[in-house]
Amino acid sequence: MEVEPQETFLDVLKNRLKIKSVHRGCEEGECGACTVLLNGRPVCSCLILSPQVDGGEVLTLEGLNQNGEFHPLLTAFMENYAIQCGYCTPGMVMTAYYLLHHLTDFSDESIRKGLEGNLCRCTGYINILKAIKAAKKEKDSGCWW
Amino acid sequence: MITRERRILSGKGRFIDDLELPSMVHCVFIGSPYAHARIRKMDVSKALKNPGVLTVITGEELRQHTAPLPATSDFSGRPGWHWRAPEIYPLAVGKVRFHGEPVAAIVAETPRQALEAAGGIEIEYDPLPPVMDAVSAMEKNGPLVYEEWGDNVQLHTVFNFGDVERAFREADRVLKFPWHENRTSGFPLEARGCLSMYEPMTETLHTWGSYQCPFRAQHYISHVLRLPQTSVRVTASDIGGGFGNKINIWKYTVVCLAAMLTGRPVKWHESTREFFLTGPHQRDVVWDSEVAIKNDGRVLGIKARFIQDLGVEISNRDYSAPSIQAACSSVPNAYRLQGLKVEAYGIVTNKSFYGAYRGFGKDKGAKFMERIMDLVSRECNLNPAELRLKNFIQPQEFPYKQISGLVYDSGNYPAVLQEALKAAEVDSWKAKQEELRKEGKHIGIGMAFVVEPAGIAAPNARFSGLVQARVRVTPDGLVEIYSDRTEIGQGAEMTNTLVVSQILGAKPEDIVVKPVTSDIIGMGPISSRGAVYSVSALARAAKGLKEIIVKYASAFFKDRPENIRLENGAIYSSKNPENRLTYKELADRMYFRPGARGLPQEMQLNHETLLDVSASWFSPNSAENPTSTYTTFSSSADIAVVEVDTETGATRILKYVHVHDAGKIISREIVDGQIYGGIVQGIGEALSEELIYNEQGELSSGSYADFVMPTAVDAPDIVIKHLETPSPYTELGTKGMGESPIIGSKAVIISAIEDALSPFHILITEAPATREKVRRWIRHSTAG
Amino acid sequence: MSFFIGSRTIPEVEYHRPKELAAALVLLRELKGGYKLIAGGTDLIPAIRRGALSPDFSHWVDLRSIKELDYIRQEDSLICIGAVTRLADIEASPIIRKDVPHLAEAVGQIGSLQIRSQGTIGGNLSNASPAADTAPPLLTLEAKILLKSIDRQRVVPLDQFFLGPGKTVLSVGEILAEIQIPIPRAEEKYCFLKLGRRNAFTLAIVSVATRLKIQNGVFQGVRIALGAVAPVPIRVPKAEGFLTGQRVGEPTITNGARIASDEVQPISDVRASAAYRKDMSYVLTRRAILSCMTPKPAQP
Repeated sequence: MEVEPQETFLDVLKNRLKIKSVHRGCEEGECGACTVLLNGRPVCSCLILSPQVDGGEVLTLEGLNQNGEFHPLLTAFMENYAIQCGYCTPGMVMTAYYLLHHLTDFSDESIRKGLEGNLCRCTGYINILKAIKAAKKEKDSGCWW
Repeated sequence: MITRERRILSGKGRFIDDLELPSMVHCVFIGSPYAHARIRKMDVSKALKNPGVLTVITGEELRQHTAPLPATSDFSGRPGWHWRAPEIYPLAVGKVRFHGEPVAAIVAETPRQALEAAGGIEIEYDPLPPVMDAVSAMEKNGPLVYEEWGDNVQLHTVFNFGDVERAFREADRVLKFPWHENRTSGFPLEARGCLSMYEPMTETLHTWGSYQCPFRAQHYISHVLRLPQTSVRVTASDIGGGFGNKINIWKYTVVCLAAMLTGRPVKWHESTREFFLTGPHQRDVVWDSEVAIKNDGRVLGIKARFIQDLGVEISNRDYSAPSIQAACSSVPNAYRLQGLKVEAYGIVTNKSFYGAYRGFGKDKGAKFMERIMDLVSRECNLNPAELRLKNFIQPQEFPYKQISGLVYDSGNYPAVLQEALKAAEVDSWKAKQEELRKEGKHIGIGMAFVVEPAGIAAPNARFSGLVQARVRVTPDGLVEIYSDRTEIGQGAEMTNTLVVSQILGAKPEDIVVKPVTSDIIGMGPISSRGAVYSVSALARAAKGLKEIIVKYASAFFKDRPENIRLENGAIYSSKNPENRLTYKELADRMYFRPGARGLPQEMQLNHETLLDVSASWFSPNSAENPTSTYTTFSSSADIAVVEVDTETGATRILKYVHVHDAGKIISREIVDGQIYGGIVQGIGEALSEELIYNEQGELSSGSYADFVMPTAVDAPDIVIKHLETPSPYTELGTKGMGESPIIGSKAVIISAIEDALSPFHILITEAPATREKVRRWIRHSTAG
Repeated sequence: MSFFIGSRTIPEVEYHRPKELAAALVLLRELKGGYKLIAGGTDLIPAIRRGALSPDFSHWVDLRSIKELDYIRQEDSLICIGAVTRLADIEASPIIRKDVPHLAEAVGQIGSLQIRSQGTIGGNLSNASPAADTAPPLLTLEAKILLKSIDRQRVVPLDQFFLGPGKTVLSVGEILAEIQIPIPRAEEKYCFLKLGRRNAFTLAIVSVATRLKIQNGVFQGVRIALGAVAPVPIRVPKAEGFLTGQRVGEPTITNGARIASDEVQPISDVRASAAYRKDMSYVLTRRAILSCMTPKPAQP
């Protein structure tokens, strides 16, 4: 598709591709609501000019749904009451997905640090941490995709 | 039915940013760069010629075609109250009074075109000196926010509860205590917004968006646009957080007007910066007080002067004027006070308006009182727990008529506090504190006890009404819930589903919580009213529906009503379980075939044929006790251990315990989630959040970069325990509890810091306790 | 402006994405100015949104795709980092973590995971915030910046690179190509401490980097740099001179830290007052020096 450089990656995801999971927050990289994985890395889509994404690979929350089946990480979020208003959730999940694949130290401290760029005003982060730790167990036991 | 959580995780959210209609256009607000100025000239003619622009609305148009924003509270005529409400519009008319105040709304095909047209608006201002704090705004001959007022006092009254003179006569000592809370607010991650459309075929203005209270919004919009309420329909979309910050809908009315003027659907989604600048601000109160005590620690009475910094007003854009009463009447908190006298002022300044934020007003009195408890404990050399136990209202005294006129329904404060002390292992932390002090390390143990009045129904205020709930079985056997309890992340849908599921035996996946609209009467999820009003009305409606179902089933099965069971999506007879119907079969018979094979004749003749029950609910507490503006009173104890780095002033939380008595709990997980979230918000208020205006009156902390909220690293682990003393007043014994976590947490963190710094003899009289401030207090102390 | 707007729009300008450095430099010469260099965008986009960056340019030149500027290498006695290297990669780099750990520590405290996944070291330095977290460790390492234009290249010591808040010696047609760090000798100790308004994802109120050696109980080669306390990130030569050659112990360390806090010239802003910054310069410098003396790093 053709994009204009004054559109951000977030604009393209939402306005052009109608991807609902990515949320428009502060648009200044401070809240993390717009986090997606670009070439495997968590980024704030609001800070990227759309042409900069050319040729890249993007993963959004929709990619963790396969034929109506939820990825174990999403199930962990639901089962651990990690979702309240849901606005931070997609960004939080994408960051969590990255952490689950890349963190070597799975202490609470380390997970919390990994989440520092995803603000949440509703949950106090505690159930989000629980969900991520539960997902880690699933991953370690092999029930992962 | 798919739950909201599943829907959002499937990428099928319906937040305002996701909403779209064909031929939709966009509205953008532009605002004043000055805190205080006269508008000398406004010429939008160039902007109108910009590509894509449909119209530009200014204050002058609003003045001609719409009603001024209604005063949502009215204290005029109330004896002893000095009260005024200004005549104002969502867009400035003649004068701007706060940084960012909207001066024009541009409607264009795309948001970019709207923003680009802003350059074509010619506005000239004559700046005026701004008045940026409430105390100096009270001085004579200073700048006036509303010249016609002659001063900056919007509200003034004296609350005189109990016998304060006697309290002071009987006192052994009188302590002084000043206390100032920072200006802050919620700022959920999703800012405000709506999509409005006028539908000519039904002559209805439809609006969808982040409306925390659709029914009240309908009233407000129809008043402003001068439409009958029947022509306005408000629907709450998915809402990305509320906390009270989305009750105000004054900007939304301009979007609705734009929809009517242009004949196109108009969408507005503000930026986070606009939310900070033009959103509802809260807290920002100053108390000056004298506290009359006995040497044994009994607190007899308090005299105080209370000043609330209202920003431009507390009366029209939001529904917050009664928060001053709530603040003063919540001072007695959990204690047996003999007398309380507060001279209360609501002062206008050149800042954004005073709105609603979790706590509303009752948070302030409780925090103030808990600070006083810390002071008394130190002055009388009493253990803070012993001191509270001594002053508590005792379990056998409920319902307790507090001197404020509020009737506390039930509770067991000593048990809640004891449970917290046990869970927090206070004694072992105290021993550690001694040891660490020898090493020059400073930990502190803080305590706060909060009674949360919930379910407000204040006189003079336009949110004090009843609520309605409706439960209906669809022809294909699903159960629909219609409630006023808008989902803002507090678990309304989940708990509503549980309530109905428990009463009707329907399976949760067969229950549909319909989006909340203005069709259902109700004040919305404010003042923790969800668990009080909305749940009670819903329970009544569900129970009413159950009665009809049982009546039908007993006639159909030819069995006694006592034998009819509703369980797991089926209705059956316990005597003969083969006699069973699913909800689908039941609905099929009643709606389509009530005759020969279906409904008993008696029911047909009595027209009792609808599986559709609407019920209302109002507070029996307020009905029985007219001065009791709240219905239920949950209670909580917070104990926190912190370490203060005395060189940097930084505070680290080592342990946090919260014990809560929220009456009958429907879902433990939902309640815990509310507690975790509220506590972390309160921690943010205690340590770092502040809306800071500079000398020119500009908001300098108007974004997440400078309004410092807790990240996942700043939030502590939290231990929660529950007690349940049900409310005698609500249908299921539930109590509102959503606000106490944010109240106790702010107080307990301050309390803990103060305890950590006790070698320095510092009395903390303000929040937030930022790193810089804590360091300054230490350096200025005698021991620093 | 006669009005306030929530969030400014990104300007409608032309966008260029050269894949090679040579092509980029040619392009810059052709454009003769009127362009904005962008890579991660993590400083530029927020600045545009809040109205701090005027849209007075007509071209974006995106350096992100210039793979030849994305590297971390050891070449003889230098560690060389390409300007377009992402901060997250620098934080994770075994070379950086082993040889200059306080740089890894500092980078790990920049912004958030998302910011570090996108932001580049070249961007962090070119943005020239007085609070840039990469600067203090690099200053203690006496790093140099390689600047390239179509006509020439020049190497500028980092302490001459910054001219003031938001200003560097980068001239029209030039890009920051590489950061060169002389590999420190063994037995040196490093520390980086940062104090913000909260525990994570926060701008520095004060940051300190130290580098020193202790030989026979005497401080040697003391280098101390601070951020957010002057118009540019700075070294504190008086404090360094005082400490170098002194026996390790008190009151030397405290006195050295005090001298450092006298050398800073902080301002008051919405984040902190000048007085607090001065005070914290002392506190953090002292802690950083102490931390260099123990195996366990200190808490900021």
